Amino acid sequence: MTKMQFLRLLCAALAIVPLAGCGDGRSTSDAGVVHLQVWSMWSGDEERSFEAVLAEYHKEHPGVVVDNLGAVTDEKSVRAIIAGAPPDLFTITDPSYLGTLAANNALEPLDGQFEAAGFKDQDFTPGALDECRYQGRLYAMPYLMDCIALLYNKDVFKDAGLDPNKPPRTYDELVEDCRKITRRDAEGRLTRIGLHPVEISPALLMSMFDGRFIDERGRITADDPNNIEGVTAYMRLMDAQGGYPAVQSFASGFGANTGAFNPFFHGDVGMLISGEWNAYTAFRYSPGTHYGVVALPYPGNHPNRAGLVWLADNPFCIPRGSKHAREAWEFLKWTQTPLAQKMLASTLHNVPNLRSELHDKDLIADPPFVAKSPKDVDPNSWRPLYGKFLALADSPTATGFPTMPVASMYAKELSNVYDSVGYGTKKPAEALAAIDVRVQREMDKYQ
Amino acid sequence: MRRSERRAVLTGLMFVSPWLIGFLIFTLYPVIASGYLSFTDYRVLAPPRWVGMANYHSLVIDHDYFLPSLWDTIFMFLELPLSLIMGLALALLLDQKLRGIAVYRTLFYLPSIVPVVSSAVLWMWVLNPEHGLINSVLHSMHIPGPAWLASPAWAKPAMILMDLWGVGGGMVIYLAALQGVPTSLYEAADLDGANGWKKIRYVTIPSISPVIFFNLIMGVIGTFQYFTQTYIMTNGGPNNSTLFYAIYLYQNAFQYFRMGTACAMAWILFLITLVATFVVFKSSARWVYYEGETR
Repeated sequence: MTKMQFLRLLCAALAIVPLAGCGDGRSTSDAGVVHLQVWSMWSGDEERSFEAVLAEYHKEHPGVVVDNLGAVTDEKSVRAIIAGAPPDLFTITDPSYLGTLAANNALEPLDGQFEAAGFKDQDFTPGALDECRYQGRLYAMPYLMDCIALLYNKDVFKDAGLDPNKPPRTYDELVEDCRKITRRDAEGRLTRIGLHPVEISPALLMSMFDGRFIDERGRITADDPNNIEGVTAYMRLMDAQGGYPAVQSFASGFGANTGAFNPFFHGDVGMLISGEWNAYTAFRYSPGTHYGVVALPYPGNHPNRAGLVWLADNPFCIPRGSKHAREAWEFLKWTQTPLAQKMLASTLHNVPNLRSELHDKDLIADPPFVAKSPKDVDPNSWRPLYGKFLALADSPTATGFPTMPVASMYAKELSNVYDSVGYGTKKPAEALAAIDVRVQREMDKYQ
Repeated sequence: MRRSERRAVLTGLMFVSPWLIGFLIFTLYPVIASGYLSFTDYRVLAPPRWVGMANYHSLVIDHDYFLPSLWDTIFMFLELPLSLIMGLALALLLDQKLRGIAVYRTLFYLPSIVPVVSSAVLWMWVLNPEHGLINSVLHSMHIPGPAWLASPAWAKPAMILMDLWGVGGGMVIYLAALQGVPTSLYEAADLDGANGWKKIRYVTIPSISPVIFFNLIMGVIGTFQYFTQTYIMTNGGPNNSTLFYAIYLYQNAFQYFRMGTACAMAWILFLITLVATFVVFKSSARWVYYEGETR
């Protein structure tokens, strides 16, 4: 072999080596054991909780190993689907992606399996399946869900001269309570406000006012009169706490809501519109503070909205091209058993999507606790508050954002409404009408 | 071409093939594909559909997002002269022959080696209207500080302020250029009775003008692509005041599944950058001096 020939061979070899790594290393079946690839949204402690559930599943189904990849973002899953290399099963973090994926034929419909498994709609927590359906067909199964309601800090209520056992029931009461909770320092700067302004999304607020986002014919209704009323009412709430810019400035000093720096746990805000996981995080990060939770306040002129909570699923989808669609469905079916629901709910502190589990004593009971030393803390003391969330979730008026192909853009457009109205760029009706036109234009592409 | 020459060319190509293949697959193909996709309605999950100029047309009449995003980006060009002047001024100061000058140079250069993401996170705290360093200092002097990143009026200036903290990167290039200015020119200026400022104006600046030119071109291109700081700090808010061109492009491509529109935006941005760079290049004949150049 001449030197030249050798070099050419070397070049050719170097060019081929990287390609060898591109083989299909996923979804291997060895010795009859199926490896089910699941991509999930959870990370950290939550990932460990999910993996404990998967271990239990493997114990009951020795023929299947569920390989979990945690902390997967929706963008990653979408890219994998486009590339034709999807996992067997994946979760959606932002439920607004479901409509887009379903409308583009990227997900396996599950209606046949749902029926064959003997599932009935009424067995599910109200609203749990709505987010999994697109145009009447089922494209996902929930494995637990979030229930968003109004949390309030009883100690802050007491400090502001309010009755800690009388949280606001109506929207007007909410505005008044916020006004009374709001505090300023000697120079007029805000030091405490009534309601954390970040978590109350325009979509959630509009549903409090019985607003609609899309009509029966599939037309976008961003400028529904009730939506406009909602945005106007939100500005009234901001004015009661010092005005929109002042509240935004104050809130930009807040830490992240997910951990110990949540301003709600520090009494910087009196109320928080948020989900059931706070029952446990409050216990963990601010033990000893007294909290309560009630349904979202309803406007006096919309009494039909009493008892409203906002729901968001943890949806699991089987992508088109899943190599083990059958095994994936078997796993999803198992997640709907009382054991699977209870197991994850007690560690993830989310709401079971199986209606019967909402009142399960194992989840919500706070057994008597005797402290052996003053340092001992009742490890179950978060459960009563969590139980209230579960009771609220069993509500006929539970609602969420409708599934539609343009939901992601629609939600983002809506989230800009507060800013454009609050900073005086636009009037509510004007801002919402503009959104209507833009989102409808995108929606038309799907007709 | 003779047989042996052809062999030589082939061998040469094979040697550069790792780069060549990478260039063709990862650079040239995406560039051409994005050109094609900009004329389609491409929702990523479904095959692209030809729509002609529709994407371009809907962009140039979009007064809610596209055009404001372009104006907001152009606002950031304020940063360019500021960073040029500050970088140059710092370089001149650090060009003095003082004891421990290396320490000063290191201190001023240090911020520019902090990764953009880390410095953005750091500055979110510095600029925090409630607990931030800047507002605490202002407060102690009884000056009410602005809400910075939480205010539509102050968010862009806040980012410019933050970027000027990292001016050391440009400074180091000026500093290197200053070493190359011939001392004979300064001596000649001394003999002619030039004072300090005149020496800077008529000797230093013309001598290092190619480096100023280089920093200016890089600044123009970088400003049009302004992305990371905003993505970390404000994600376009408040009230879309920092929804810069690149951020809006990113949202269209990866959040709204409007890849066709995003590709059209990328090509518009390419053309704008091309024109802006061309203008700067054309103007350079008037003010950039290359040693040994004859006019």
